Amino acid sequence: MVPAVPPSDAGSPPPEDRDPAGFELTDEYDMPAEVDATFRTLRRAAFGYFALFVVVVAAVPGLTLALDWWSQGRLVGGMSPSFVMAAFGLYVFFFVLAVAAATLANAVEDRMLGGPERDHPEQRGDAP
Amino acid sequence: MITASIIGLAALLLVVLGIALVLQPRGASTLDFYLAGRRVGVVTNACAICGDYFSAASFLGVAAAVYVSGLDGVWYATGFAAGFIPVLLFVAAPLRRFGEFSIPDFLGRRLTSDRVRLTAVCVVQLIILSYLVPQAVGSGITWELLVGHGMAGLSPYATGVAVSTAAITALVALGGMRGTTWTQAVQFLVLLCAFIWLTVAAIGSGFHYPEAVDRLNEQPLTNPTATEEGQWHLETERDRIDGEDPATFGEPGARYGSLGQFALIITLIMGTAGLPHIMNRYFTSPTGLAARMTTVWVLGLASLFYALAVLLGTAARSLIPDAAAEHAWMEELTVGGVLKVPEHALLVLGRVYGGEIGLGFIASGALIAVMSTIAGLLLASAASWGHDVYERHINPHASQRQAVWAGRGAVVLVAVLSAAVAVGLRPDSLTALLPSIVATMVTWAFALAGSALTPVFILTIWWRRTTAPAAIAGMITGAVTAITMFALGTVYGDAGLSEMLLTPTIVAAPLSAVVTVVVSRFTTTPAELDRLWLKLHGTAADRHTLRLARLTITGVTGRSKEEP
Repeated sequence: MVPAVPPSDAGSPPPEDRDPAGFELTDEYDMPAEVDATFRTLRRAAFGYFALFVVVVAAVPGLTLALDWWSQGRLVGGMSPSFVMAAFGLYVFFFVLAVAAATLANAVEDRMLGGPERDHPEQRGDAP
Repeated sequence: MITASIIGLAALLLVVLGIALVLQPRGASTLDFYLAGRRVGVVTNACAICGDYFSAASFLGVAAAVYVSGLDGVWYATGFAAGFIPVLLFVAAPLRRFGEFSIPDFLGRRLTSDRVRLTAVCVVQLIILSYLVPQAVGSGITWELLVGHGMAGLSPYATGVAVSTAAITALVALGGMRGTTWTQAVQFLVLLCAFIWLTVAAIGSGFHYPEAVDRLNEQPLTNPTATEEGQWHLETERDRIDGEDPATFGEPGARYGSLGQFALIITLIMGTAGLPHIMNRYFTSPTGLAARMTTVWVLGLASLFYALAVLLGTAARSLIPDAAAEHAWMEELTVGGVLKVPEHALLVLGRVYGGEIGLGFIASGALIAVMSTIAGLLLASAASWGHDVYERHINPHASQRQAVWAGRGAVVLVAVLSAAVAVGLRPDSLTALLPSIVATMVTWAFALAGSALTPVFILTIWWRRTTAPAAIAGMITGAVTAITMFALGTVYGDAGLSEMLLTPTIVAAPLSAVVTVVVSRFTTTPAELDRLWLKLHGTAADRHTLRLARLTITGVTGRSKEEP
């Protein structure tokens, strides 16, 4: 069992959240093991999303070299698939990716850190 | 002289200075001066980041790059917008949770090293200067076209540089981050309105986007070139991918070969996470969660903005030849219906659709873009000199008042230096060499940031083993490699492999990362790594802030959120 780090060592509250005597105005803290597990989960997810992002962005100019249709075909009116992706498609992709990544990261942090029982120790029957 | 435009500009400057005076920090606190008290909301901060980020390169430069080189210019828009994906995935939330004042401060604290802080200050100042100069160039170009004459014996170009720099220096020195945040947010909304108005006007006049691209593809892409005798003529761009065939607007190859396209995109994507004026804004968010969601908003707004910029660059290419035949005032600006200076594209569209008022509106937008970015850069520079150097090293016992005044002094010095460099450059002498001088110069700043700072930044946040000596080695390697490649690129031109020399991040960033990892293996990590890691990746401070906010709401309304 990894011991909980007292709030003063958790290092989380910024300096402006301390009272004039230097004590932190919070009872929130994180467990090192939980933070480490969360960090690893987030790192895996972030690099996964980044790999997808790089592949899609590189594919837009890259397909020009492999497929004539990509830059010479006509998809919307007079626009080639390459132009459509560069002018509209990539922006939609960026936004969808951002929403998905942020939603996942928020959910991971919400579930793995700061569980409700720690917000209210009395609910677990702990001594005050 | 265009009276309506000048009156509009004067009114704009007065409004900006008024906001700075009203919102100036009441107490002499560095937290308030540099970070607006860390109380900037998600949407406000997203708009302010957009105002900060959308510089002359975005407002004038992207449309200009599309105008002059078609699809190859679109990569600027793609890269500028895509740069926020790495920021979202790797930087925004942990950076805010660590909660310092600037990038050098963050790196110095995380690696518990003053030498890291000072090395980062040098890199940050180089990036800021590289970014400030093209903004000042953009303001000079705009003034030249809008007003057409100088003041106090200066040329029109130099007057534009001096006036915009002086006005924004006053704003930043008086208003600090709080005043700058609100003016940047408002400035972004003005820029977006300008784009939307131009788009509606163009479509209303019969512009059909897909048909325009199709029509432009039917003929070779041509651009004006000046001879040594000063005579202008149209020259066909050759396709750099398919050899000597003529390039066309809607296909890649007008400006970059295969390698150059990848190198440009990677340079812009990697650069954003290392831009000091943008990263500093994340310290103003109340929580890491707010910083992350701010980035999602920024991506949405940036996507809309850049999609419109590409559309307008295409509209300018399609519509200006016909307009040039109808309007006598365009004669001196064009050669065979094509603009001599591509940065004039949106300004000309503004005058075509809105007369003097339309030109004044777009020109004001251009100056707003310049000023809001200059404001962010000057604040980042002030935080770096005033906080990271003066407070940490020169006068560690400085009072808050002294530290704020040190920041204000730094603002003035950096502003004067960048204006002097910009006046020394003549944009029309470089236009024939580069696709869009403003966008290209900003790309250099992105290359330096992406090569020297971003790899070290990401490793410092996501790899526990990163050490102080390794970070210093990584930053120096990235910066020296990028600068050396630039220098070689200017000598050896921009064809073939040398395309990479002008957008060097594709080489310099991996090199910087490898050096950082290797040196880390042979050196020791900071002593209090566990405590630093909790601060960086824990959410206790976020929960604490949210709890306080809930308690405040409960106290004000008398009801808790959970109550019906």
